[in-house]
Amino acid sequence: MKRFLRSAAVVSVATLTAVGLAACASGSAASSGDSSAKSTVYFGVSAATTGQYAQYGEQFKEAFDLAVEQVNAKGGIDGHPVALKYEDSQSDPKQSVAVAQKFVGDDSISLVFGDYSSAASIPASPIYTAGKLLQYGFNNSNPDFTAKGTQYQWSTSITTSATYTWTADYIKKQGIKSVGVSYLNTADWGIPAFNAFKAEAKKVGLKITDAEGVLDTSDDYRPSLTKAVADKPEAFVHIGYGPDAAKIVTQLRAIGFDGTFYGGQDEQSFDGTKDAEGAINGAEFLSSNPAPEVQKFVKAFKKKYPQETEVTGFEAGAYDALNVAVAAAKIGGTSREDILAGFKKVKDVPSVVYGKITFDQSSRRVASPQLTPSILKDGKWVAYTG
Amino acid sequence: MLDTLIAGLLRGNVYALGAVGISLVFGVMNVVNFAQFSFFGLGAMLSWFFVVKLGLPFWLALVAVLVVCGAIGLLINVTVVRPLAKFLPLAAMLSTYAISLILDNASQIAFTAQFRVFPDVLPTSNLHIGNMRFGTSDLVMLGTTALIMVVMTLFLKYGKVGRAIRATAQDQEAALQMGIPVGQVQHVSFVIASALGGLAGVFIALYVGVANPNSGLDVGLTAFVAATLGGLGSLVGAVIGGFVLGILEAFGIHFFGDTAREIIVFVILIVVLIVRPGGLLGKVPLMSTEPLTGTFLGKGRPIRIPRWVWLVAFVVAGVLVPLVANDYILTTGTQVIIYAIIAAGFTVTAGQAGVLALGQAGPIAIGAYASALLTLYLHLPFWVALPLAGIAAAVVASILASPIWGVKGHYISIATLGLGIAIVAVIQLVLPQGLYNIPVPEWFGTPLNSPQAYYLIDFGVLAVTLVVMWRLRSSHLGKVISSVGSDEVAALSSGVRGRNYKALAFAVSGFFAGIGGSLLAHQYTYIDPTIFTMLMSLLVVTIVIMGGVSLPYGAVIGAIVLIGAMELLRFTPELRIIVYGLVLILVVRFRPGGILVRNS
Repeated sequence: MKRFLRSAAVVSVATLTAVGLAACASGSAASSGDSSAKSTVYFGVSAATTGQYAQYGEQFKEAFDLAVEQVNAKGGIDGHPVALKYEDSQSDPKQSVAVAQKFVGDDSISLVFGDYSSAASIPASPIYTAGKLLQYGFNNSNPDFTAKGTQYQWSTSITTSATYTWTADYIKKQGIKSVGVSYLNTADWGIPAFNAFKAEAKKVGLKITDAEGVLDTSDDYRPSLTKAVADKPEAFVHIGYGPDAAKIVTQLRAIGFDGTFYGGQDEQSFDGTKDAEGAINGAEFLSSNPAPEVQKFVKAFKKKYPQETEVTGFEAGAYDALNVAVAAAKIGGTSREDILAGFKKVKDVPSVVYGKITFDQSSRRVASPQLTPSILKDGKWVAYTG
Repeated sequence: MLDTLIAGLLRGNVYALGAVGISLVFGVMNVVNFAQFSFFGLGAMLSWFFVVKLGLPFWLALVAVLVVCGAIGLLINVTVVRPLAKFLPLAAMLSTYAISLILDNASQIAFTAQFRVFPDVLPTSNLHIGNMRFGTSDLVMLGTTALIMVVMTLFLKYGKVGRAIRATAQDQEAALQMGIPVGQVQHVSFVIASALGGLAGVFIALYVGVANPNSGLDVGLTAFVAATLGGLGSLVGAVIGGFVLGILEAFGIHFFGDTAREIIVFVILIVVLIVRPGGLLGKVPLMSTEPLTGTFLGKGRPIRIPRWVWLVAFVVAGVLVPLVANDYILTTGTQVIIYAIIAAGFTVTAGQAGVLALGQAGPIAIGAYASALLTLYLHLPFWVALPLAGIAAAVVASILASPIWGVKGHYISIATLGLGIAIVAVIQLVLPQGLYNIPVPEWFGTPLNSPQAYYLIDFGVLAVTLVVMWRLRSSHLGKVISSVGSDEVAALSSGVRGRNYKALAFAVSGFFAGIGGSLLAHQYTYIDPTIFTMLMSLLVVTIVIMGGVSLPYGAVIGAIVLIGAMELLRFTPELRIIVYGLVLILVVRFRPGGILVRNS
């Protein structure tokens, strides 16, 4: 038995070291792959398929796959079919830089989507820039992703500062004078968003009675919330994502606050939360939007994924992103340089989020994005005209 | 104030349930069980599944959760934990970490990562005291906890198995000699702990309203702190620790905000441990051994490596790889090397001084921020900032850690874990924005930012690190540090001040962690606090244990295996982490002392 264990140990150790070293070998094999197969255009996707952000990786993938299917059904990019290569980064910078290098080294890749979070996207940016590979951070709402990036960083996500400047204006226009605020204390998202909100609130004369920084990993916000509403504000604003907003709105009602809740996100857990009913936010995408483009997309999505009850901004953003990339490739060409040239020219791409997308060339973001006031009614976000 | 007190009681309740499970397993097996974290998330998702998808009534679902979690617990203990715990609690601890990876990801594949709305099984806001509303569900939770505590107390006091559990916790060997089937007692304890973990998970979900497979991690960590606070191994202590922590935390958040939560939790822990090194109700044994003592050093010896291997390895890694490898390999290589530097430095603390510090992310973050700030605002060149970052990390980490060296055994691991998290939390409070455009290294005006350049810089630093560590080990100082780790009592009797040498070892490790942090910062050119997580700390520890806890060059092998394997497993993205966990368990199973250490 002992001898068996020993030999088993030797074998397992040898295998592991081989595994570790072969990690390198497989990399070289992948990169020397056939670049002669010019007929297919490959885009890379760097996102989380495992780990704590896997939820979003799943949503992106579903929308990407649908968009690719539709594009290819219509003849692809001037006859070239489109395909995606997915790499899991867990939205961890340690892995997103390796993924970036892998994509840069893979000559067949002409553009990369991602990553999900700015903390994973920004560390990878220098690698994409050095590799002259366009990094399309379609979900990066942190303004610094493009502002501090180079001509290789593009995004169609509305920036947090734009969203929350709009929110402060809107609340003021609703005739509300004071709000309590909670915001996610995260470098890449919550803090710049809150700063934008605070600056605009000051400008338009909206009083913030108290603002509490919170963490999305917390479960119990009652101590923060009791403090935030102690001065009896008229309404409450939460600057954050869906799951944390679900917890916050539930606990806000539990401590007896009845004012309007501005915040939340079109996302399954928030939409299904009972106390979230009546929440108001500025939506980029509404699946109930009657525009034919949107309804066509929602219908196709639900047909392909019957198990999904909701179509949210995450899917819509990914769907748009693929179509923008394809439109740019049709104008510029399919190589890395050509597609970049295409991004500089592309105009009025049909979009399920913005209606039409045209880039502001100086910010490499969507020019004048619009938000729609929307309210959560019976678990669905609908346009709000109150 | 009353509102805050009630909020504190409710959260303390959940912590208490989790802490009891952790303390129970620790008491009878002397193993810190990270898998307990996963049972929180698993319990929450299973009850969601039973109620929403299968339509079972809540009470039936609750029973089903207990049964499933208990059964999984038994399986884990029989196959992995107990075989290892028998002779190496540290290896068992590492394996529980691997198990928790596997459980979390299996549950993620089964239930997807979506946050789910937990069904409204009981009214949640039908009652109120003052402004604070609460519901039948909260009362039921408090009642259930109270009931379980009473039953557990009676069971442990009068039940036959309960008494056997207590006897085993007191002295395993004596219990065995008195005819107590220690193996079975441990199984029972593990089953009870897992079931309680599942129950706590259901309660978290009930209380919070939404759950996903990862949602137990944060509560789990706090429950873990609560168990330590009360005194590991003491069940009454765990309950008291849970409620004390819950209430103090609630008031802390009220006064300092939710962003300070982690700092509050760990400051409470560290203060309690300084005043009472065994926790509130734990006893400090007269002669306590560090978890590493006499295990790695006694049970294995390093495999002898012929000199020519060093030469070959140096030529291959330093010359051949940068010449032939592509950029992807080199970038992966830089990550491997940076972690190897951090881990090699860490072997002085973990191996020689025998202190299993779990918070290396703290000094890594200090190094990264120090280096970034020095180059960004004082415009120092990278080459000056690099050693300064190491010194900054060593100095700051040593000052912060100075009060905890009187604490012993597992407590020191938890205290350092807390220290690491608290350091990063402080950085997040002070500099929440993240730092951009950190300058890349330059050589007389030429930017060195190609993967090849990064690789060569990192490789050079690694070579220096290994030489320094080798010289340190063979010096008089190194021998003294090792003596503290091998037998602290003997070292003390010979006039060696263990505390001081542990602190020194920690400072040395902190220096190399800071160097590693600096290298990371200048390669990413962007850092923010979310990069320096608890998982980063655990990765460093895992690498060190994998390679052989006191072998600096073992850390290189550990880093190649753990980071390289993660990249290689890309062929199976869905199962990547599960396979990774299995690999970890296999290695620990067959090489509990580390890859480069032969069992003897």
